[in-house]
Amino acid sequence: MNLLMVMLFAPLIAGFLAWLLDFKVIREVIGIIGASIPIGVLAYYYSTVTSESITYSLTVGGFTLGFHLTMLTWYFAVIASIVGIAMAFGMASTSKSSYDWLFALISFTGVLGVFLSSDFVGFFLFWELMTFGSFMMVLKRNRHESLKYFVLSIIGAYSMLVAIGIIYAKTGALDFNTVQKALRLDAMVGSISRGETALIYTLFLITFGVKAGAVPLHVWAPGAYSENDQSYTAFFSGALSKAGVYGFVLLYILMGAKLYTALGVFNNHLVFAYILAWIGAITVVVASFLAVLQEDIRKLFAYSSVGQVGYILLGLGIGTGLGFAGALFHVLSHAIFKSLFWLVTAAIILRTGKTRFEDLGGLAEKMPITFTMGLIAVLSLAGIPPMAGFASKWLLYEAAISAHMPLVAGAIFLGSGLAFAYVVRFLYAVWFGQRPSDLDDVKEAPLPLLIGMVILAIPNLVFGIAPGLVTGYFNRLFGDTIVGGNYFRLVTPTGTYNALLVTVILIFGLSIAGLIYIYGAKTRKIPVINTYQSGNPVTEEYNLSMRKNFYRPLAEALGFWLKYSWDRFYERLANLTEDFADWLREGFYNGNAQSYSWYLTIVLLILALWGVL
Amino acid sequence: MFAWKLVLEAIGMLIYATFIGFIFMGIERKAMARIQRRIGPPIYQPIIDTLKLLGKKESVSHGFIYDFGPVFALGASITALLFIPMGNFQLFSNNADLIVVAYLLEVPMLGIMLGAMSSGNPYSGLGVQRGLLTMVAMQLPYGLAIIALVQHWGTFKLSQLVALQQLQGWSITVPALALAFIVFDIVFQALLGLEPFDIITAPAEISMGPMVEYGGKQAAILFTQHAIQLFAETAFFAVLFLGGASNLLDLFLKQLLVLFIAIFVASIYPRFTIDQAAKFFWKWPTIIGIVAVLLTM
Amino acid sequence: MGENEGFINYELQEFKLFEPLFKWARKKSLWIVAFCTGCGGIEIPPLATARYDFERFGIMPNPAPRMADLFLITGYVTPKTLKRIIVTYEMMQDPKYVLAHGSCPINGGVYWDSYNVVKQLDKYIPVDVAIAGCMPRPEAVMDGIMEIMRKIESGEANGWKRYRENYEYYRKNQDKLFGEGWREKEAKRWLAWI
Repeated sequence: MNLLMVMLFAPLIAGFLAWLLDFKVIREVIGIIGASIPIGVLAYYYSTVTSESITYSLTVGGFTLGFHLTMLTWYFAVIASIVGIAMAFGMASTSKSSYDWLFALISFTGVLGVFLSSDFVGFFLFWELMTFGSFMMVLKRNRHESLKYFVLSIIGAYSMLVAIGIIYAKTGALDFNTVQKALRLDAMVGSISRGETALIYTLFLITFGVKAGAVPLHVWAPGAYSENDQSYTAFFSGALSKAGVYGFVLLYILMGAKLYTALGVFNNHLVFAYILAWIGAITVVVASFLAVLQEDIRKLFAYSSVGQVGYILLGLGIGTGLGFAGALFHVLSHAIFKSLFWLVTAAIILRTGKTRFEDLGGLAEKMPITFTMGLIAVLSLAGIPPMAGFASKWLLYEAAISAHMPLVAGAIFLGSGLAFAYVVRFLYAVWFGQRPSDLDDVKEAPLPLLIGMVILAIPNLVFGIAPGLVTGYFNRLFGDTIVGGNYFRLVTPTGTYNALLVTVILIFGLSIAGLIYIYGAKTRKIPVINTYQSGNPVTEEYNLSMRKNFYRPLAEALGFWLKYSWDRFYERLANLTEDFADWLREGFYNGNAQSYSWYLTIVLLILALWGVL
Repeated sequence: MFAWKLVLEAIGMLIYATFIGFIFMGIERKAMARIQRRIGPPIYQPIIDTLKLLGKKESVSHGFIYDFGPVFALGASITALLFIPMGNFQLFSNNADLIVVAYLLEVPMLGIMLGAMSSGNPYSGLGVQRGLLTMVAMQLPYGLAIIALVQHWGTFKLSQLVALQQLQGWSITVPALALAFIVFDIVFQALLGLEPFDIITAPAEISMGPMVEYGGKQAAILFTQHAIQLFAETAFFAVLFLGGASNLLDLFLKQLLVLFIAIFVASIYPRFTIDQAAKFFWKWPTIIGIVAVLLTM
Repeated sequence: MGENEGFINYELQEFKLFEPLFKWARKKSLWIVAFCTGCGGIEIPPLATARYDFERFGIMPNPAPRMADLFLITGYVTPKTLKRIIVTYEMMQDPKYVLAHGSCPINGGVYWDSYNVVKQLDKYIPVDVAIAGCMPRPEAVMDGIMEIMRKIESGEANGWKRYRENYEYYRKNQDKLFGEGWREKEAKRWLAWI
């Protein structure tokens, strides 16, 4: 058995073992061990993979599944594995059921398989495995949301199947290498027509768009992310959505040349990439606006996840090397900060049992470590230098503006403003202000969950201060210097960012401010109710913090746009379909034997006319 | 090798910026007073105010974050300042570009908000909400103005922007960038928190908004932060649109020009409500910004 | 006295080297709590606007009490107002000064026989300077503020020190007027409305 296979199937096997040996501590230990094997193997392969790619093929029942570990897939697999370990630690605290362990680890294997597969068969199989695992996780908690996810995933899966079918019919191959070569050749020859190429592109757009949660296919995400074990959601939003992103990268690799020749160029931008960029930009804006207006902590982060993946699609759509570097970097930073957010959410929900902002508040004193972790995630998401989230966003800005995509870049600006708004709302409503009296005996999050958070918080800081670690890897990946500089300093043709220097000066600035602070009078701690209310005394019994409808004025300003909703559109579509099906059923299956015999006659007649009988 | 000269320059610039920033705040008050036919305070009045606040013998705190917020804000303002080329002092500006500085100039707001939120005062909460919504509203035109600028000059580096403008004329002499200048100037009013966008502090309405719970040394830190921020933002404006400067006097005059535009606008207009501000920003400044951006493509 | 234990035991900061500088700054920058009681509040606009312009002396109305230094009691004080005055006064940070404006805070003024006016403010919070008159003209208020500035310079304006030293006395008078635990009671009164 090859190490690659060990890594691939370790989570799956661990999941089954945990499910079988359903004992309290053993289950968790097995799960954590299973989830930490992949990162170990990937670390072992690091030196090999930078020089050559590792391939392996597995024959199961006549099918040969090919696997490869290239620099690109290594990168994605590492991200999934980091998030995977954090998820396992988180689940050790939040999940008490072997069912969760089984399906969470199944989807872990699914994600790794999607990244490692080197042909469409394996890709599709693992894609479905991943969807299945995550679907079962949602199904246990909320049937309606799980069905929404299921239906959209099925649409995506069928689109992929059809697209793969067309590719197979045209090229006669399923493994990525041959398909790539054939399509590159075809770009010159042009035997696949423009319409067919556009069809394949659209089908893949639907498939990967569903998984990545691009607007308007994002509707499953808020429900599925929130109606779940939040530790698993860390993986769901941190790693599973990245499978969609990986799909788009794959689309570039396999079909880039063909799409370029078939669909052409618009205004110096590749048309297919331009579409992707706009989908990304719209996703960023729509999802961020919706995130700002949410009243539930889980919904807020669900929409925020959708929005942040929009950044990645946008970066891929820019189509330049810088855009790719930005998008791939954002894959990493989104995975680490958003998973961190989900673990923090998991801790809050575990300890308080509340999810709505109006029921929370003042937890910073009760859960200081969780709060610190949440703050790191907030700083990273809001793009405060020097955090990983800033480095990736910076690359995206540079890429979008220097590729002359001004309106798309404008979407990034607007999106980052909105991101600021919703994370601060999260800080305000959950951690600060007056604490509701029923939260007085809240304790700090349990140790495994804290370990999970720390695992994710460290990369946020490390890759923030040394973003060159990641961009250096990209340079080797692309075989070209896209982002120059050293470990601490990023240099693009038009701009530069020295993360270490920013850190040093920030520390210098903080110490100057700290000196002023120390010089002043010694502080006296006062309770939260000692606040100025126009001279009125305040009592603990009435909570003065604004938790509900925090961004009401924004909702008012956006009144016109909020009348339209994709959710309601789909609901209406579903209802229409149901009505139509009802009408069909009632019209045909009317319980009248005479009409059934008429149907038989008509069918026979048609067959006879066709010449079958 | 340790760059002693650079460090000394940075410290000198920090002292200069703090001093001039306070003077700018004083000029703001003095000019407003003169427009209202008053005599007004001496222009060094903000320095006295800050000293007084620092000299308070008592200090209260609502917790760690309440103290950390202002400290973080001041630290971030100092950081932003040291990455902007100031006249003949390049400081650290070739280590960070426009986007980094634009972001660093927004970080202090997060610090103030953090501290304000942790006080638990609903006025602060309201101020935070208003501040963030103003930011959301102004972000789009602000971004478009910056995009137009970068598309025209083709670089993000502030020092290079200055060099290019010295060679080819100031940004505002280019028609498309003149439009961007108008947009940026409208946004600038909100960046400085002046009327018609002083929605955040709104003194007579929500008791200073985020600042309501601050007093003593924390307020002194916030005043210092405001001074440095004012200096950094006016310098940023001058660098982007008014051709930077070759020496500090040149820079000072340009900053003063920018500041006076802001003061004159502020002393005439009343305050928007927050949804009016959002609708306003998403209408005219955005349209002008898009035109500017399309002209520079 | 549990709720104010921190306030009583707090040790005020002593600045050694820069104390004269801070003293000068305190004198030159008096921020007024924007809190108007009674009819005297109307005398503040002329002071602030073009005719008298107290901003010349660095005086500025400020809505937040924590940064403010000067508390102008502008007119008669009812028990209801006095509660707010005390709460706000305790929020201001030392050193802080109180200027009683008009006859009413001194002896009740025209309301000397009213059942609902606090006749002598000095019993509840320390007053540094009082201006007699009903109403005092803006010139008189200006003069009172000048007097406060002089007293700050000479160190006579020490109401904040007296409040700390004689806290029990002031507290006793407050409780006698409002009853024990009036803060909590007052805060809860509004719960019925909300």
